[in-house]
Amino acid sequence: MNDEPKISDSQQSAEPAAARSTVPMWIFSLTLVLIYLGAVYFDHHGGWFNPQVYSPYKNAEELDSYQPKSGAAEFIAQGKKTYDMICAACHGPDGSGKPGQAPPLAGSEWVNAKGDRRLAEIPLLGLNGPITVKGQPMNFSSGMAAMGAGLSDSDLAAVLTYIRSSWGNTGGPATADDVKAVRAIVAGHGAINGEQELKTIPE
Amino acid sequence: MKTGFRVFIAAFVALGASWCGFVLAPVLQLGTAKQETVLNSSDTYPLQRTGDATLGLQVYRASGCAACHTEQIQQSGVACEIELTSVGKNPDAVEKQINAVFAPSPFFGVNFITNDQNIPYGGPPSIDISHLPQIILNHLEKSKADAVVGGITSAGGKAEIHIVATGADISRGWGIRRSVAADYLYDNPVQLGSLRVGPDLADVGARLGNANWQLLHLYAPHSVTKNSAMPPFRFLFETKKIGDAPSPDALQLPKELVPPVGYEVIPTDDAKNLVAYLLSLRADVPLYEAPFTPPQVSTNTPANKK
Repeated sequence: MNDEPKISDSQQSAEPAAARSTVPMWIFSLTLVLIYLGAVYFDHHGGWFNPQVYSPYKNAEELDSYQPKSGAAEFIAQGKKTYDMICAACHGPDGSGKPGQAPPLAGSEWVNAKGDRRLAEIPLLGLNGPITVKGQPMNFSSGMAAMGAGLSDSDLAAVLTYIRSSWGNTGGPATADDVKAVRAIVAGHGAINGEQELKTIPE
Repeated sequence: MKTGFRVFIAAFVALGASWCGFVLAPVLQLGTAKQETVLNSSDTYPLQRTGDATLGLQVYRASGCAACHTEQIQQSGVACEIELTSVGKNPDAVEKQINAVFAPSPFFGVNFITNDQNIPYGGPPSIDISHLPQIILNHLEKSKADAVVGGITSAGGKAEIHIVATGADISRGWGIRRSVAADYLYDNPVQLGSLRVGPDLADVGARLGNANWQLLHLYAPHSVTKNSAMPPFRFLFETKKIGDAPSPDALQLPKELVPPVGYEVIPTDDAKNLVAYLLSLRADVPLYEAPFTPPQVSTNTPANKK
């Protein structure tokens, strides 16, 4: 019945105590190697606490390389900016025009022409006199001044691209080279005199 | 207590370190977050919610939607697609450049340029020149996509690179890119959720943008989604006697759910606010930190140049 382990007096009094000893060298080395690997991993994957870097991107450079360079969209955005600043006052921000002031651009056959040469000449030279748009003859108290003559080739091309691709229009894009060529052709010419003269310009 | 001071210091350092990690670092990273500009556009994102949608967030919270729905789209990778827009004057040279991509490398005859299972190794894509623009390659890494586009350009053709986010959530159709901090700028509290009994809702306004569908789904989920695990939220609706004229808000219910003659089911303000909130959940624009090429909305065909 007496199963209790016997504890001798000597065992009771001898409290075990750990002796001091140095940490083994290999633990030090292992810790250093792990810290080093951790730092390398962080360097490659951590994004350096940049709040704009999310997985799956590893760093800001990689994120930059994946930015879509949609040239066309940017070009149209540039065109919209210029249009809203200069053209929208008369032609309206939605291209619907203003009665007695400016014809609509949305759905206009002049804007949706095959090429962009004739259309480019209007802002470059200005346009006087009545014009028929979408089968409706329109009369204006004053013509359009050469609003686009002061714009750079690229800005004017962007505006043309914007109006030819917005509000349901289906014209093709215009390039700065197109505008440059047209500008060279029409240099020194006065304002276009009404629809009659406009029709003589090739599309 | 000889070690009391040391225990205090140790506890202070441990708690202080976790406070720095969990509170200070996030505040330094995102505490000054503001509206940002949508990529390649002058629009700002996100927009402040309308009043009813702001109230709807509280209905969402009170109804426990976050118990079964998350609002966080995960993204595991990013890939490039190449869209051929023009073959220029020398279609053969362009085709040669594209085919060169598929030429087996000298190493074991394996092509390393694409890991898309849909494209057989060594087999060039068939290009129908009469139907441009056309996606000719996908699942490419950026560097390889750049190389291919460089080749096409040098042969006189034109091609664009489309950036596409990939991942399980995105292939489920739950969204088009990953969720980022900016998506939650006007959420208070943020309803991230952690369990997906139902689908993710971070982009639900763009996926299911019909308010009537949403109301019907809240009233009777099974009537619009078979096998839905969602309980009906009938307490957000009232069955009322029709007054002088039927209410324009009344639900158009299927036969088996139609209320008795002379009655109609009308959504309460809570239901309308909740739906306004759901429709305001749209994570569908490209941002700098989550770039992708938005799908083309314009159907413009390039006109012939003069």
